[in-house]
This record gives sequence, structure tokens and C-alpha cells, in this order.
Amino acid sequence: MAVDLEKILRPVDRPLPPFPAKYMTIASGEEMVIRQVSRDEIPAILPFVAPLMYVERDFYDIVAARVFAELMSYYKHRVQDEYVLIAQIDGEIAAIVNGRMVTEDVGMSLHTLALRRGLRIGAHAFAAKMEYHMDILGQKEVLVVAESPIGFRRWMIEYKLEKRFDIPHELGGVPSWALTKELFERARDTLVVGRRPVPAELLEKAQTAISPPSDPPQPPDDLLAATRALYDPTGTALMLQRWKQEGKEQA
Amino acid sequence: MREVYAVGIGITTFTRLEYPLSEIAAYPAMMALRDAGLKDVDHLYVANMGAGRVNHQTGLASAVVDTLSLSPAGADAIENGPASGASAIKQGFMAVASGMHDVVLVTGAERMREVNNLEATEFVATLTHPLAEYIYGVTLPSLAGMFTRLYMEKYEVTARHLAMVAVKNQNNALLNEYAHIQQEITLEGILDSPESMTNNPYVADPLRFFDCCPVSDGGACVILASEEVATRLGKPLIRLAGVGQATDTHAVQEREDPTDLLAVRRAAARSFGMAGLEPANVDVAELHDAFTILEIAESEEVGFFPKGEGHLALERGETSLTGKLPINPSGGLKGRGHPVGATGVAQAYEIVLQLRGEAGQRQVPEARIGFTCNFGGFGNNVVCLTFIREN
Amino acid sequence: MARDIYAYKCQRCGHLHYPYRMVCKACKENEHNEFDPVPLPKTGKLVTFTRLYNLPGDFEVPELVLGIVELENGIRITGQLRIDAPKNGMTVRGEVEVVRTEGYDHHYGMVFFAS
Repeated sequence: MAVDLEKILRPVDRPLPPFPAKYMTIASGEEMVIRQVSRDEIPAILPFVAPLMYVERDFYDIVAARVFAELMSYYKHRVQDEYVLIAQIDGEIAAIVNGRMVTEDVGMSLHTLALRRGLRIGAHAFAAKMEYHMDILGQKEVLVVAESPIGFRRWMIEYKLEKRFDIPHELGGVPSWALTKELFERARDTLVVGRRPVPAELLEKAQTAISPPSDPPQPPDDLLAATRALYDPTGTALMLQRWKQEGKEQA
Repeated sequence: MREVYAVGIGITTFTRLEYPLSEIAAYPAMMALRDAGLKDVDHLYVANMGAGRVNHQTGLASAVVDTLSLSPAGADAIENGPASGASAIKQGFMAVASGMHDVVLVTGAERMREVNNLEATEFVATLTHPLAEYIYGVTLPSLAGMFTRLYMEKYEVTARHLAMVAVKNQNNALLNEYAHIQQEITLEGILDSPESMTNNPYVADPLRFFDCCPVSDGGACVILASEEVATRLGKPLIRLAGVGQATDTHAVQEREDPTDLLAVRRAAARSFGMAGLEPANVDVAELHDAFTILEIAESEEVGFFPKGEGHLALERGETSLTGKLPINPSGGLKGRGHPVGATGVAQAYEIVLQLRGEAGQRQVPEARIGFTCNFGGFGNNVVCLTFIREN
Repeated sequence: MARDIYAYKCQRCGHLHYPYRMVCKACKENEHNEFDPVPLPKTGKLVTFTRLYNLPGDFEVPELVLGIVELENGIRITGQLRIDAPKNGMTVRGEVEVVRTEGYDHHYGMVFFAS
């Protein structure tokens, strides 16, 4: 009986061609590999996403919460036609990007989560995702939205996405933007970079293990420090919380 | 005029700070007071550019003097765009040199990241000429981009030279515990590799992402005092020997020669003149590298290198940490960060630290004469300071 | 209706200013507003330019080409360029059009085209 129920609940995925891994040199001089991960690698990645749900800065909290859900549903077969790509530097995870195939021609870009900042890693990962939709899956259009102003600037503005406001995006039902094949071709030279094939040693390092990020965005000591600072410049709330943590009595 | 000494210094980490602006100004002041061994000052100057517009706080000096419990001392806020810091130091210098006060505290602070990046760019763009520049969408990076294009054409400065400044300064910042950017970059990564266009895209061509300084929050403080107070406090005697300021046309298009920074030239000359020194005497300098091209151009205009040869000195390694004349050992604006109002004071902080011999891993050996250049607007208001170690 | 951008000619000494100044830069002797508005010529040479990708929020376009042009009479002006491949030194001609819209305010300025 349990098997039959699972058959009903579990969507049947279309066969999606694999993403051929690629590598690039990033601003720090290090080499980064972008490759696709399979379902069984997801549990290794989830613990790196979870702590970011508490980082208020730059909308990390909502992006991490949604990515966690998307990865979990991919792992547990409760989402259709999703793919997940990760970026690794010397085995260490640097970014996670994911998306879905909605129809043969239309893709849905889900998220771009950068675990190392300041090196345009998110830009490389997003471009890889678009390359997957356009070149590998052969689609005509990808629907994109941004939760954070940084995402907006990087994608809507830099790629010059077209407005598709009549189509609600899966992320919150908000008006979508679209990357068309034409826009992608125009952006190809400057934005879609990276080399293939990945040198054997580099690829093996990346495939053997996904190590934790060395310098991920951290939640502050006080979970609402940003908001509190706006309304409570005396820092009293922070101080009281610290006292509570230290077991001190209020005067 | 009396002699004026820097007796106390303090600084915050330059990064994104979640504290109110008045605290970002007060914290380094508190550190500086402890550093000097002082509990009171005669007057307070606060350097800041955006308090009213970005942080909803006007009368900033009045807020800061009270949070530091320094009332009833007088307090003034100084706004001179990105040159607010050095301008405030200049006011402090004049107060002590004239004999009006014996000890003044100069703190600079900025909290630009209270708003998002688009608003921060807009805020800085208000420096431009409202009718001749602002209405066209001109921002500071675009003025720097136009300047860079001409400079490259006239003096054969290349993208590689700009990238070398970025790499030098960001790597210097790795040795600076309070710097904003703690990230190593290489020429391969930002210029040579096939992926460098994504790593280092154009912002205002020919200027690229790593040619521009970050948007930062932060504060810095320097306490200035008379010789009598300085001797009594027993710290190394670092004298603020030269202060020079000069202005130029507001609209960049009206500059006599669009590749000259005349205000820098004149301010530096006045500063050296007051100190009785030549550019060749300087051991360490902090120049205003909001854009990498400016470090090269300023190094020529202040007199360290002949006009049009700053990039050659850079090639020879003369301006690196181990070179003949280290420029921006702290990482400069590029690596340390650029909280607009605090920068001028942070430059002075670094020079005083270097001259005291307390700069740790980034110490310039036996530095006795230091120089700063604080560049306001796009070169229309520049303040230069010269410091001499006397004992 | 073709619009113009005006320079200001000092009524005492004839020095031409753009943009407006309160006190004449040459003679410093003018009374308040003792200037004659003089329309600026619309042709000149491109001194320098840049392509700006990080624009202020109210711009709906992804990039702007900005430049400084030295007009026929020696006055330099900043403007937007609607030129595909600008080069320093090229001849350009300008039109006065809307260059920026902030809320309900339309700002008029010089836009330059290849000549």
C-alpha cells in the first residue's frame, strides 16, 4: 500500500540532460568548479544552508529558507523537474543555484545563494544556470525574479531582462521577468564564461566531498540587531538579552 | 601659531555596522580618549557627510558630544563631502594653533549602509553640479571614468596599472585588522584570466568593479593638543606640521586641463610649505584612492613623481609596502573602505600609527614623515596634511 | 520647438560662463544678475566619455553613455551621448532633450549625436 501511495505523491521527472561541469578563475586567483549535484548529495548540502535562515542581512533569511525547502523537496521527490548546481572552490562550497523546467520551452529560475561573498561568485553561478536552461535544455525563455536589491541589479539590470508581469512567478506569485534566447545570446560573451572540460584533478576534488564554507555570512549575536538598532539606539534590549544569557539578575 | 600634536587615536572596524551613526562617531572617540589618557577636551569636531540625508540625524555634533559626556564642551559638525575628515582636522588644528583651545577631539563617521546601494550611489551623486552634471545621471564613478579614459590616452596608463593598484591595496588591507575588505585578489583573477570580465566587470568604463572603493560604515578619531599637553601626556610627539587646502571648479568640465587635479597640486604645496618640507622627504603616504586611477594621479600631483610617471613608479614597486615610498599601507580607500566622512580622519589615524611605530605587520620601517591627501567631490575641494615625528 | 542651453555673458567684461556663476570669474565686478543669457552652440568635439553601468534608481535604462564635449566657442559641457562607438576627438552635434525624469520633474539637457 505504501508503495502505491508514493506513486501518486511522487511526480515523474522528465529526463533532463546533465550539466557538463565547468571551471573558472575567480578574482582571488583561485579556481572554482561549477557542477550539477544529484539527489543523494543534497543531505550533505542542507546543513550549510540552514544557518543562513537567521542572517537578516541582504535577504539571506528568506532565500535560505526557500532554498532549504527546494533542496529538501528535490531530495524527497516532491517537486518536478528541478536541477541543482553548486560552485566549489577547492572542494569548499561557494554557491548553490537551482531552477526547474516548467515546459519544454520555459524554465523557472529559482534561487542563487552565495556562501562566499565579494568575488562575483553569484554572478558566475547565475550565468551557469542560464547556460543550462538555454544551451543544455534548449529552452526559449527563463522566468526570473529577485528577492534582494543586489539580485535585482545583477540580473534585471545587467542582463536587461524583459518584463513578463502578466506571469506570476513560483516564488511568491510575484510578477516575473524573463531571459529570452535573444537576450542570452547578447549577454553570452561577457556574462557566460568558464572553461570545459574541468581538469581531472580539480573535478575529482570537487566530486569527492563538499566541504563546509570557510567564511559564510554569520547571524549576528542578537537575531534582530539590525531592526533593533533602528528603534532602540540605547542598546538596552541587547544588554538585557546578554544579561539573560549570562544568568545575571536585572537590577 | 602654536605647534599642534596628535595625542590620541581611535577607529572602528570599517564594514557594515548596525549601530546608530552617533555611536559610530563616539566609539572611536572613546578609544582615542583612553589612548591619550584624557577624560575631557575643550572642543569637539565631527566630520560627516550624510547624517541628515541618509541617517535622519541633523545636529550630529550635538548628539555626539552628549553621548560622550563631554558637554558643556562646544561641538561642531563639518561637512566637506569626502574631504570632511581632513577638513575637520584642519578646524581642530586651527583651534589649537590659534591658542583658542588646548585639546580638541576630531571624530569622523559615516553610516552609508543604512540605505541600499542605489540610494548610497544617489547620495554621493549629490556632490555633482546640479544643472551641469546631476541632471544627466552623472555619478562620481562616471566622472572618474571620463578622467581615466583621458589619462590613459595621454599618459599611457593601462588597465593593468589600475589593476595593480587594486591588488596592492587589497592585499595591504589583509594586514589591517579594521579594514573593510579582507579578500586577497590577484592580477590573474581580475585581469588576465578568461573569466576576468565577469569577475571584474565595467562600472564606468574604463573603470572596473575592483577599481572602485566599497561602500562602508565606520568611524575614526584623532585628538589634537598643544605642545604642553602633548609633553605632559608622554606619548610619542607626532606634530601636525602642515595643513593645506585648495578648491577647483565645481563642474568637472570646467577644469582648465581635464587630466590635471589642480586642487591636489595646490593643497599639497600649501601643506608642504607650512611644514617646511618637500615631497621627497615623505616616508609614508595615505592618498585618496576612491578609484584606483586617483592614487596614480594624486601621487604625481602632490609631487612624489613627475606628472605622467606615477604608473611607472607603481610598476617599479616603489609604492608597495616594501618600496621606497609606501602609499596606502592601510589598504587605502580601496581596501580599508570609504565611509565618506570618516576617511580623512582614518587616513590621519594610519599616519599617526605608522609614525608612532605601532603599525605591526604593515609598519613602514623608520617612518618619520607622513602625508595624507583627502579628495572632496571629484577634486574640487582637497585637504592635505603633513605629519612629523619629533622624538 | 528647438530648445537651447544658455551660457551667461558678463555685462561688464564679456566673459562667458557655463554653468551659471553669481560672480564673474574674470572681472568679479558684476552686480547681481548682470549677465546676458547666450544660447550655446550645438556642435563641438568629444573630449572624453564613459559608459556608466551603475545608474541612479530613477533611470529605466541599463546603461548610459556620458561625455564631455568642447563646443565650437570653447565652452565645455557634459551631456548624454547617443552614439554607438564614441571616440575621443570626434565631431558631435547636440539636441536639447529630456535627460532625466525624477517623479514628475523632467530635466532637459544636451544629448549628443555623431555628426
